[in-house]
Amino acid sequence: MNSMRVEHHPVLGDLENQKEIKIYFDGQEYTAHEGDTIASALLASGIRTLRLHEDKATPRGIYCNIGHCFECRVRVNGKNTVRACLTPVENHMQIESGTPLSASFIKGGTL
Amino acid sequence: MIDLVVVGAGPAGLGAAIAAAEHGLQVCVVDEFVKPGGRLLGQLHEEPDGKWVNGIEEAQKLYSRAIELGVNILCGVSVYDLQKVDHGWCVYTTDEMIESKCLLLATGASETPIPIPGWTLPGVMSIGAAQVMGNVHRVKPGEKAIIIGVNVLSVAIARELQLCGVHVESILLPQPGILAGDAAQPEKMMESLLRLSHLAPSPLIRMGGKWVSPKLGARLFPKNGFKMWGIPIQLRKTALEIYGENQVEGVRIAEVSASGDVLPGTEKTVSADFVCIAGGLTPMSELASVAGCSFCYVPELGGHVPLHNEFMQTNLAGLYVAGNITGVESAKVARAQGKVAGLSVARVLKALTYGGNEKLHSAVEEVKETRKNALIQFQPGIEEARRELYGKFDETHKKTLISI
Amino acid sequence: MNEESTVVCRCEEITLKEIQGTIEKFNCSSREVKLRTRAGMGSCGGRTCRSTIDRLVEQMGGPVISNEVPLSYRPPVRPVSFGILGGAKE
Ligand SMILES: Cc1cc2nc3c(=O)[nH]c(=O)nc-3n(C[C@H](O)[C@H](O)[C@H](O)COP(=O)(O)OP(=O)(O)OC[C@H]3O[C@@H](n4cnc5c(N)ncnc54)[C@H](O)[C@@H]3O)c2cc1C
Ligand code: FES
Repeated sequence: MNSMRVEHHPVLGDLENQKEIKIYFDGQEYTAHEGDTIASALLASGIRTLRLHEDKATPRGIYCNIGHCFECRVRVNGKNTVRACLTPVENHMQIESGTPLSASFIKGGTL
Repeated sequence: MIDLVVVGAGPAGLGAAIAAAEHGLQVCVVDEFVKPGGRLLGQLHEEPDGKWVNGIEEAQKLYSRAIELGVNILCGVSVYDLQKVDHGWCVYTTDEMIESKCLLLATGASETPIPIPGWTLPGVMSIGAAQVMGNVHRVKPGEKAIIIGVNVLSVAIARELQLCGVHVESILLPQPGILAGDAAQPEKMMESLLRLSHLAPSPLIRMGGKWVSPKLGARLFPKNGFKMWGIPIQLRKTALEIYGENQVEGVRIAEVSASGDVLPGTEKTVSADFVCIAGGLTPMSELASVAGCSFCYVPELGGHVPLHNEFMQTNLAGLYVAGNITGVESAKVARAQGKVAGLSVARVLKALTYGGNEKLHSAVEEVKETRKNALIQFQPGIEEARRELYGKFDETHKKTLISI
Repeated sequence: MNEESTVVCRCEEITLKEIQGTIEKFNCSSREVKLRTRAGMGSCGGRTCRSTIDRLVEQMGGPVISNEVPLSYRPPVRPVSFGILGGAKE
């Protein structure tokens, strides 16, 4: 689905020679453009929710898009707290959304 | 130990790197964004003669020049700590630790949020986020936007979103109350918009332009707003709540009086698939604070700024600032300030050969000239506020610094 | 939804009501609000909500905004892994 891409722009010109790659978000495959950030690639596929709040489980997506707010944090290839808005996609990248901490973890119990 | 580390590859940081490298200094620029250019990347401005200035092209020019001069530019790398060491600074990054004789902080500004009920829903973003998504990443943040917060930046970016093919339903005010403060006052916002009148002469001049007081302007303001580029700007409507189940579905709005009170019985809902919040900009001072700089609170410059002088020196030896960290202004001013900072560093490191003083002083004049001609004035009274700030610096710190 | 239940600190989901309540009860500074409510202590280091908290404290009769940065920043200003803090490359 590429309808969210700004293919033509009266001042910035047309998007040309976009190389497509595959990324995975929570196990599902999506097409991204080389040069995308994780956030822009997922948004282009219509995905806005990047995580659920650790405590309250409310859905969250990008807020500032330039690295200031940390709202877009996801897990990438096993690494935590990666800002989706600042991280370029790579072919076969594995991205996982943030999920609420389990109740026992919050209370300090063992998992 | 290299000569200069610059944090931030925006117009200020790149401008400084170029000026310093032109005088033979060894420079490294660090930026956490994916591409060099800072916030210049998202900008599109129509000059009074109708020509567009494309921020991506401008950034590319600065980048190419810096690379040509041998500047080392690291993107995707964050600076998380700084330390003063003997004869210089130590910069801790997510890539490596770098030591330099001088350090320039050119970290720009961040957006001031306005908390609004429902603003944590996916699909709500800052106005700058939408600008970057559309103009830099070339992805539409959605099909139909509502923008909350009326100011120079939100109006300019609304137009840019329109060029990306987004339908901007309306630009309106946040809900009056303790959280929004002035941003919910039609009169105050009218004042801010009037600073844009040269950009969009016809509707605003019809509304009163430069010669009508904001107070009168807000009262005369038509209840249904007026349009700029076909986008309704509604100083008499307010956003009460952003609603949606799992993401934005729309905004509940109401009418307000000229003094900003909600008129009962005027509530309704307007659908949208994304909402932008525009609360203005504030200098991003975190690294200067960690370094231990003295600060000044200057509302005209957008908030707390590191105390500095005309030559971009802070009160700490070897530490410089340039661009929006010193006060919110347009990209051209930031770039001109960067040049001053670069020359200032070259001067202190004895790399400015003959004619150096004149170069530095004419760069300082260039900043003032650029400021005078800037298309966007984020706040009134910038020049006076700066004069006062520099005066304060000279009073307290002149003797302790290497003289210029 | 009313203004009181608006989330001010997005990271820790702290509402206006909690912050106002704390300022009223303890008549406190931004720093104390932060320590008592956790507002401004989340992943973003308070970058997003600090200006709102400063303004709330001022408007509710606390210290007026002065030249000093009310909530001082402490390193690391970006969350970094222990590996990086220990000197490893990312
Ligand atoms: C969202 C937004 C939109 C704007 N839109 C406009 C506009 O349309 N028109 C206009 O005239 N002005 C606009 N501005 C104002 C803008 O700040 C100036 O035009 C200009 O870009 C300032 O240049 P600068 O070099 O000072 O900072 P910037 O261009 O902001 O560059 C600062 C750079 O520093 C980097 N950085 C910050 N902290 C760190 C760190 N700890 N580690 C590593 N890197 C770091 C950032 O990634 C960024 O690239 C906007 C500002 C913002 C924040
Ligand atoms: S959206 Fe704010 S850090 Fe990524």
